Amino acid sequence: MEAVVVDAGSKLLKAGFAVPDQAPSMIIPTQMKRMLEDGSLADNPSLEDTTVDPVVRGFIRDWDAMEDLLHHVLYSGLGWEMGNEGQILFTDPLSTPKAVREQLVQMMFETFNISGFYASEQAVLSLYAVGRISGCSVDIGHGKIDIAPVIEGAVQHIASRRFEIGGIDLTKLLAQELGKSNPLVNLNISDVESLKEQYSCCAEDEVAYKKTQQSCQTEQHTLPDGQVITIGRERYTVGEALFQPSILGLEAHGIIEQLVRSISTVSSENHRQLLENTVLCGGTASMTGFEDRFQKEASLCSSSIRPALVKPPEYMPENLIKYSAWVGGAILAKVVFPQNQHVTKGDYDENGPSIVHKKCF
Amino acid sequence: MYGGDEVSAIVIDLGSHTCKAGYAGEDAPKAVFPSVVGSIDQMEVDDPTNVEKNSGSALDSKNNVKPLDSDKAKGKRKLYVGSQALGYRRDHMEVLSPLKDGVVVDWDMVDSIWDHAFRECLLIDPKEHPMLLAESSSNTPQQRERTAELMFEKYKVPALFLAKNAVLTSFASGRATSLVVDSGGGSTTVAPVHDGYVLQKAVASSPIGGEFLSDCLMKSLESKGITIKPRYSFKRKEIRPGEFQTVDLDFPNTTESYKLYSQRAIVSDIKECVCRAPDTPYDESAYSNIPMTPYELPDGQTIEIGADRFKTPDVLFNPSLVQTIPGMESFAEVASSVRGLPQMVIESINKCDVDIRRELFSSILLAGGTASMQQLKERLEKDLLEESPQAARVKVLASGNATERRFSVWIGGSILASLGSFQQMWFSKSEYEEHGASYIQRKCP
Repeated sequence: MEAVVVDAGSKLLKAGFAVPDQAPSMIIPTQMKRMLEDGSLADNPSLEDTTVDPVVRGFIRDWDAMEDLLHHVLYSGLGWEMGNEGQILFTDPLSTPKAVREQLVQMMFETFNISGFYASEQAVLSLYAVGRISGCSVDIGHGKIDIAPVIEGAVQHIASRRFEIGGIDLTKLLAQELGKSNPLVNLNISDVESLKEQYSCCAEDEVAYKKTQQSCQTEQHTLPDGQVITIGRERYTVGEALFQPSILGLEAHGIIEQLVRSISTVSSENHRQLLENTVLCGGTASMTGFEDRFQKEASLCSSSIRPALVKPPEYMPENLIKYSAWVGGAILAKVVFPQNQHVTKGDYDENGPSIVHKKCF
Repeated sequence: MYGGDEVSAIVIDLGSHTCKAGYAGEDAPKAVFPSVVGSIDQMEVDDPTNVEKNSGSALDSKNNVKPLDSDKAKGKRKLYVGSQALGYRRDHMEVLSPLKDGVVVDWDMVDSIWDHAFRECLLIDPKEHPMLLAESSSNTPQQRERTAELMFEKYKVPALFLAKNAVLTSFASGRATSLVVDSGGGSTTVAPVHDGYVLQKAVASSPIGGEFLSDCLMKSLESKGITIKPRYSFKRKEIRPGEFQTVDLDFPNTTESYKLYSQRAIVSDIKECVCRAPDTPYDESAYSNIPMTPYELPDGQTIEIGADRFKTPDVLFNPSLVQTIPGMESFAEVASSVRGLPQMVIESINKCDVDIRRELFSSILLAGGTASMQQLKERLEKDLLEESPQAARVKVLASGNATERRFSVWIGGSILASLGSFQQMWFSKSEYEEHGASYIQRKCP
């Protein structure tokens, strides 16, 4: 049986058997709803349907919810049988605290009784998906942005950066902007989320952005509950926020500048190799016009070597950008498990959860 | 007594230039950031743009979005820590260092640096991890007690230990006795270690460190007419498709200290790429005809560096060279009282007991960022061979990997904190509560 690869993001959980040149078989939202037992519904009507987010900003925070989610994914979704669990590979974001990793290992071995475990960082996996072992991975997800230079499969922690902004903040920005231009419409966050995915795009460059702020075509959109809203320049504002974080109210540089600065911390002989193999991944990076804008800004940046994006190989599925970490995990799973480099049940029983730090890096 | 197993200690080395923090047992620190902070005095700025993060700002998302800087509104000023926060230019932001000559002068800043390391870089809760802090050999008892107080009262750490930098470097190389030459950002210290204890009376230190060398290089370049433009002061514009032009941006409210900080960052990079220690003492005439090395500055200018490549590192060996660099005359008095590196080593060894001198000569360790300069080890060995007594066998050791040399104090701490036999030596919270902060002098020699 193939190993299972799970990439638990803040918004979507990607899972499937490790078949590298296909998309993951299960892509489900990580968000869950808590339904109370029948008896207590009458007492607390306001607590019906609370949404639960087990993964916050990339890290697993609610372990009970995560357990339920994984239960569903592994047993119902992928068809594992109780008593015959296989091997599993998890992806971690940057700077995962040691305690979180240990808890995950503990949960997998004790609650799910798996036979083998491996964990790897998302940055490295995204590079494997495009066929590289060195380069710089820019992961723009729902809950966080990770910029990580990787040299020969090892993440340079000293130079990598993590930002706690992501798709979720862009959604809130869009909600706010739409609220300003459509004051009579009642907007629900999940509606705004789908609006963002449908309409948002990046302007070609700063000059073009300023033009859209002054005058832009508007479109009418009908929400599921029947209300009609107009969307005009807000679509460009959302895309621009990544390049000019001052729109979100943050004092920081745009994403290209951050990339260049983080690379400058690495020793200069590697700069060329890192910048010329830049990989974009993550849901938010699949916004219309984002890649072109990224390349445009890259040519304007203050560095002698310009960042250049890597083209994914042709045999990879379309839309690789959305789940390149999962695909990279599938590739890695094919290498690690057959060669017995993973953490086995025996290792775990002998050494405890801290074995994960020694075997998986 | 704190007997911890299955628990990961945190090792922090707060140096004069960078702060290194990470988990014990790993081979490199996870968090490396400058140990200076940006500070904006609230009183100066009238408009409410610098109000604390939880004020009723327009964006709701700000309450859920963790700010990119760790700021601390402490009465009158707001502090910004970390390379991301410092990299962003703000009006009226001064760059200040909490340390002066190795002594802590501002505990708020040290507090905010630690806070940044725990909360934002390592993402841990200090209550759950014992802390190993590296301290300089000249740390005073009052500072140690203050450190203990801050750690136990504010961060509520379960256990603490303070170890001297020289001892940790010694452990990193696997020796109990050695002479440690720690050449870091702010200063160079030569300290003999014997059986794991620093011999205090023989410790020598000089203010010439990496930052001093960067300043020398910067003044030297300026005297040749090259201006280093800080990263925030220019922008590239595309005037025609495919053609670019650099445009200068002017920010009148930027402080001098911030400008200097940004320029120093660029000059440090030049220094690390291009400078090498010369094989023989620097001589104007001998080096006047060497080929120039090109270097491209961030704004696109390419500069050629010739004799400065060798002159600047030679200041470590011969501090009086500083007087020949235009613009550095103010340091001339300082430089005249300071000895060169080989002299410091010899003096330090001579102050030790005759019996151990031989062992010290044969195990001289190089550590620190500046010590990872190319050819430094060979030059030091050569100079020492000339000046040392005949019978002594001089051996300078340095790990080949530049990263290891830069972080050797931290690595030593990582090794120490993960040893089984060390677990009983921690200064635990219960001992602090029972005996008070002064007990630390007994527990951490």
